[in-house]
Parts: sequence; structure tokens; C-alpha cells
Amino acid sequence: MIGPEDVGGAWAEVIHRFHAAHRGIRIDYISGPWSTDERQNMYIRAFLAGDAFELVYMDVIWTAKFASQGWLLPLDRWFSPEVRETLIPQGIEAGFYQGRFYRVPVRSDVGMLYYRKDLLPEPPRTWEEFEIVCNRYGNPPDRYCIVFQGMQYEGLVCNYLEYLWGAGGTPIDKDQNVLLDRDENISVLSFMKEVISQGWAPRSVITFQEQQALEFFEQGKALMMRNWPYAWTILRRSPLEGKVGIVPFIHRTGHEPAGTLGGWGLGIARGARFPEAAAKFIEFTVSPEAQKVLHFRRGAVPALKSLFKDEEILQESPHYTDLYEVLLKSRMRPIHPDYPRISSIMQKHVSAVLVGIESPREAALQMDQSIEGLIKGKRHSWPLRLYFDHDLKMTLKNTLVFTGLSVPFEFLLGLFFALLAHQPFRGRTMLRLSVLVPWALPTAVMAMAWQWMFNNPFGVINDLMVRVGILSKPMDWLSTPEGAMFAAVFADVWKTTPFVAIILLAGLQSIPQQLKESLSIDGGGTRMMFFHLILPLLMPFIRVALIFRIIHAAGIFDLIWVLTKGGPADTTRTLSLYIYDLAFRYDEVGYALFLTGLFLISLILVSLLIVRSTALRYERI
Amino acid sequence: MKKLIFSIAIASILLYCLFPFFWTIQTALKPAGTVFRLPVSYLPETISLENIIDVFSKRPFGRYVLNSLIAGGGATILTLWVAAVLSFRLRALDLRRALRIQRWFLVGAILPPALLVIPVFVVMKQLSLVNNYLALILAYTALNLPFAVWMLHAAFRQIPKELDEAAVMDGFSQSAILYRIILPLSRPSLAVTAVLVFIFCWNEFILALSLMPAQSKYTVPVGIALLSGASGYEIPWGEINAAVALTTVPIILVIAAFQRWIIEGLTTGAVKG
Repeated sequence: MIGPEDVGGAWAEVIHRFHAAHRGIRIDYISGPWSTDERQNMYIRAFLAGDAFELVYMDVIWTAKFASQGWLLPLDRWFSPEVRETLIPQGIEAGFYQGRFYRVPVRSDVGMLYYRKDLLPEPPRTWEEFEIVCNRYGNPPDRYCIVFQGMQYEGLVCNYLEYLWGAGGTPIDKDQNVLLDRDENISVLSFMKEVISQGWAPRSVITFQEQQALEFFEQGKALMMRNWPYAWTILRRSPLEGKVGIVPFIHRTGHEPAGTLGGWGLGIARGARFPEAAAKFIEFTVSPEAQKVLHFRRGAVPALKSLFKDEEILQESPHYTDLYEVLLKSRMRPIHPDYPRISSIMQKHVSAVLVGIESPREAALQMDQSIEGLIKGKRHSWPLRLYFDHDLKMTLKNTLVFTGLSVPFEFLLGLFFALLAHQPFRGRTMLRLSVLVPWALPTAVMAMAWQWMFNNPFGVINDLMVRVGILSKPMDWLSTPEGAMFAAVFADVWKTTPFVAIILLAGLQSIPQQLKESLSIDGGGTRMMFFHLILPLLMPFIRVALIFRIIHAAGIFDLIWVLTKGGPADTTRTLSLYIYDLAFRYDEVGYALFLTGLFLISLILVSLLIVRSTALRYERI
Repeated sequence: MKKLIFSIAIASILLYCLFPFFWTIQTALKPAGTVFRLPVSYLPETISLENIIDVFSKRPFGRYVLNSLIAGGGATILTLWVAAVLSFRLRALDLRRALRIQRWFLVGAILPPALLVIPVFVVMKQLSLVNNYLALILAYTALNLPFAVWMLHAAFRQIPKELDEAAVMDGFSQSAILYRIILPLSRPSLAVTAVLVFIFCWNEFILALSLMPAQSKYTVPVGIALLSGASGYEIPWGEINAAVALTTVPIILVIAAFQRWIIEGLTTGAVKG
């Protein structure tokens, strides 16, 4: 099995005792990286390579994915309902996937509300009480009411779901219907936004993970904190010792409070050679003996119910009585093989609301449609899936906007450059050289330079615009939808105008001087010259430039990927980024290839259309 | 008056094209401590190499450069060789047929790499070439081949066929004609093609990002784009700008040296298209 570094030697001790009792079975604990994602990837790589670890130590949210891929062995025959009965029911429930049991909970984890017993007479239980408490006892910026995890990552979803469940909502029901366009979701998002806008939580929570929230709370700068049980162990050794209590997270009057279930458990790989031995070990890890070792050495919250009433443990951790109550109210994040993607959709839109990019209503609808498109689309063949694919529609729209804005600018500006550079004057070489510069520099690298120039407050673009008076105050370019799109278009125009200019310049040079002379002898003015001589003769070059630019603007990847990563809230995410994510992040190479094929066909059609519509009469055959 | 407007127009184009480049260099040369200072200063008061040294000492930037040189250099050599052989064959055909074949080639050249990345990745994975320089070299060669054939074919055509006939009389084989007559005579075109192909490879991003996912195999653009990844809170802008400057200055110098031929090379391609 792989786990994180074995701090405190808890697992070593558990394994040692197991070895002593079961001669002939050997368990290896492999110290993996701290990052949960990294460890998940280690397991996935091992499964794919076919030389799996026998024991799989997994986070609650991995179970569905691993089980749906057929990587895990059902454990029903070793763990009867009676055995399961002894463990926290939520942890057991989380071990099921489509009716079979795959994962035995070993460590429990649940989100809950820490509050300052010394400052609050009574912890708030409902949103209404919360509001009253905050307004009465909060005193920002010295002491905020609450801190939580507001950064765009998995932790934000855990926070968000606690509000949602507490308001009687749920993201996905048992029949896989997505319920996020309901009013309760909108009200939840509004409430979360209010928590920040009312000054109950500091604005900086949108950059907080568990650690930052805990530090903030530890310094006494907040009355309450949403966090996991691990925080207790740390607070006990801080100046706040004895001043902190725990309760379930706040809920709406008339509904039940809920905490997000976390925790770790063990499963057996399908390719395991010694499943019997593995099952014996798992059985041992949930025995009171092993659970106590894990608790005392590692601070792990047990999965075994009886330990919450154990004298020895209660003496050391009296808060376990409260914790047990919270645990029994814990709830499971949506069980779905595509949970990581579902979560990233929720993260994006909740974050967009907290940052102020989307209104709660917009975010709720976007979330609902995206997730529904994902779940429904998966059940259909690829062509039908197109219809449900909300992300596809969004990114297609962004691609069209981007192409529609950048190509005309590039074309007109490029034509202007070419006309100027075609004039004979001193320093023409210099001009041509400097026009080549943007063209020759690497897009991805210059995207970094643009990111720096669009930076707020240190970027030069804000500074220039404020000085010149175009802007009255610095603008947050890359974190507003319009600003980010503008920045992307601007950088693209800068980068590719030279290309258009070079091609059109070649065209201008191919127009025989005599033609121009004869036209001016015939009395043609500049305008006449341009529209009746230069433009028609330039047409083949214009066509090349346009086809090339449209195809490349539609397929834009590197510039946007580096400049905005498609953000904020997907407003600059283009088709290429989406297809790339499908293949390299969501593990859907087939569908990604299908979309690539369609994309290719449509680009060819567009090119043909341009050729047709720009063909002059005499060119048509 | 007209002249003034003209000069202003020229000056603004110059400014527009060069400003981002200038800005990168001036940020790179600021002492690390003054990068994040407000108000924004337009010329560094003191010039310091601190950021540039940091890029090499704190980060494996040297390694990225090496990776780019291997992938780009390998691809350039392979591209030139294959393109020379193909162009030589095309030269033997009559012009109309040769151009028709070439046109098909070009269809492949205008596809954005973002459309090719997934199929290419799938193939490379099958061949277990992911994280192998060969993957990038092969992909870049395929990507740049049409352009290189374009350039070399045009150059080879200018060499009179009578020369071949004379060579055959002297007992030269076909390959000897290519390597000992045609190639030496087309040296300038080979040089320009090599420079352009190398720049394209040096600049390429999405294939390098996907085919070489290990950090020790990052090319320069990938390394720079992912430089911020270390921590979301403090992005080392001084170092990033130094890295950007280091990547772009050599290109600008090369472009300046080859300017005339590059414009010619690019435009011949366009004229025929």
C-alpha cells in the first residue's frame, strides 16, 4: 500500500503488530508524496500498468472511479453487514459503488465548525443565528466572524456542499439528476457571497486552504472556522487551548446540518495475488487495537464506533463526544466515476461567485448545465453527446468571439502596416525588421510577458492607461471576463499582425509598377488606385492570410493557455483548450479525437467558403 | 504635414511591435527587489543581472535550453535532410505536377498544432516515445516538412538541369548529384530554411507540453510557462522576465542577421500559395 509519509510511525506500529500476529504475511508500507493527487496518480499508473499494489489506501472520493474501472475487488465476502455495523455508517456507505462494497473506512474525517467558547456564549446553529452572532461579535478587520477555505480547489467544494446540504439541497440525486438550478442553490451561493461581502469573512478567504484558515483562526483573528478534525490537535497546543468548541456546520432553519465526509480507507486491488491476506490486514486495521495506535500516534479519527466511547480515548480527546455527533451528520460528496470533473465545475463557479465574476443565478445555471451535460452526455454515443455538451457550447462561443474579434483587427492593421512598409523611405529596413519581431518570438513565452504587462497593480498597461487618462483607475484585466478576453485578443493581434503584413507586403511587391503608373496617367486618384487596382490584385494574398489566420485563431491554444488558462470562470476557454483537457485531464481521448475530427472538418469548410467568396469573377472557372 | 503624419505612423508601429520586448528586457534587468515597486518605473535606475543569474542557479533553465537545442536541432537536421531528398525528387518532375503535389503537402502545413496534438500523442504513446526526444524530433519534422520542401524546391528549381546532365556524363550517381552539386549550390536557402525551421521548433509549445511531461524534459517555452506553478501566491516575475528575455534575444539577433532572406523566403511561399 502507498500512503503519505508515516509521521509518528503509526502505520509501522500497526504493521508490526499485524506481523507478530500473522506470521507468513508481509505488508509493505510505501511512503508516497504528500499530495493526494500525486498518490492517486501513482495508483492509477500502477493499475494501468497491471502491476497493482495489493492494498489500496484511498481517499473517499476515489472509490467510485477505481471501482467503475474494475480495479477493485468487492469486499462483501470478507466484510459482512455485522462487521460493517461496527464502523461509522457514513464511512461504510461511501465504500459502496453500484451496490457492492469496495472500501473499508480506516480514518474518519468530517467538516465542522470550530468556535471560540470564550468569546461566543452560544455557537450559531442556523444561518439566521450566524448573521446575528456575526453582527454582534464580529469586529473586522481586527476580528472577523468566520474563516473557511475559499480557494478554487477541492476544499471549496467541501465548504460549498455543507451550505447546500444545510439548506436542504443536494447536487445530484440518486437517479443522477442534477439539481443545481434550483432556488436553494442560488440562495446558497448568494449567502456565501454575502458572508464575504458583509465582512463576516475576510476578503482574503478566497485564497485560503485549510492551513491559511487555521493560522488565521489561531492568531485570534476570527470567531469561527470551518475545518477538519485535524485542526483540533494543533489548536490544543496553541494559545487557544481550552477556548475552542466544535459543532456541526450552520444550516438553514428547518433543515439538517451536514458536514462533508472525508477520510481514508482500504480496498483490495483486483489483480491482488493474496486477497485473503490483504483482507486479514484490513480487518486488523479496523480492530480497536490498530485504531487506537492510529489515533494515539497519528491523531487519526477512528472509523470504529466503539472508540468514541472508549475511556482511554475520551480522557485524551474529550471532544470526541461532540465529534461523533458531527460525524453522524456527515454526508458523502456525489458518488460518480467522473467526480473530479464534477467537482472542478463546481469549484469554478462557486469561486466565480465569491470573486464576483458571476452572479449566483448565472453560476447556478452554468453549474447545472455543465454537470448535466457531462453526466447525460456520457450515456450517449458521441454524436448525441455533442447535444448535451454544455462545455462544448461555451468554448465554441468563446472561440467564435475570439476569432471574430482578433482576425478583423489583425487583417486591417496588417494591411495598414504593409501599405506603409511598401512606401520607399529611409529606415524601411528597420521597420521591416521590427515588424518581424513579434512574429518570430515564441507565443507561449510572450504570453508570460503579456501576463506581466497586464498584471494589476504592477503591470505597465494599467500604468500607461491611467497616465494617458483612458482608465480612471487600474483595471483587473485578467480576472474579469471582458478584461481577459480583451487581453487575449490584444496579445494575439500583436503577435500575428506581422504575419498578415508580411504576406500582404509580398503581394504589394508583386504588383507591377507600370500598372500603377498607367492608372495614374489615366487620372485615377489614390482611392481609385486602391480599390480598383491594388485590392483586386492583392486578393490571392488576402485569401491566404485570412484562411491562415482564421484557422489559427480558431485553434488558438498556447497564448490562452498561458495567459489566462481559460479563466476567469471559463470565459476565455476556447475549443482547443477544452479538447486538450478532455484528452489530458479527463481521460477521454476517444471523444477528444472525435471533436478534433469535427473541428478539422469545419475548418476545411470555412476555408472553402472563404476561397469561394473571395474569388474574383475572372478567377472562377 | 503629410510627412509628419507618416513619420508618426511609422514610429507608432515601431513602438507597438517592440514595446513588449523592450518591457521584458527592462524588467529582467531590474534588481530583483525593485520589480514589484510602485509607481512603475520605465527605465531601471540600476541595471542588475541578478534575475538572469537566478534563472540559471535557482531553476533548471540550462536544462530547458539544452532540451530545446536537442529537440529543435535534431528536428532541423532531420527536416532539412528529408526535405532535400523530397525536393530533389520533385525537381525531377515537370513543374505543374510538382506544384500539385506540393499543394497537398501544404494543406498539412496550415493545420494548427492544437489539432494535431492528440493524434500525435496517441501514436507516440503507442510507440512508448513519450518523454523521449525522438517524439518531439519526429513531430517537429512532420510539422515543418511542407514548409522546408517549399523553400528547398524553389531553390533547387533555379539550378539548371543541364548541370545534372553534365554530372551524369561525369559518372555521378543521383545521390552524388544531390549531395555534391545541388546542396552546395543552395547553401543560402538551406541556411534560411534551417533558421526558420529551428525558430519554429524553438517556439513550439503544445506538442512539447504534451509529449514531454517530465520536468527534466521541458523545453524552454514549457519551462517558462510553468515557472509560475511553484506557488500561486508569489509569482517570480523578475525571473520569468529574465527567462523570457534570454529566450527571445537570440531569436531577435538571428532574425536581424537574416532579415532580408527571411522576408524573401516567407513571401515566396505566399506568392505561390
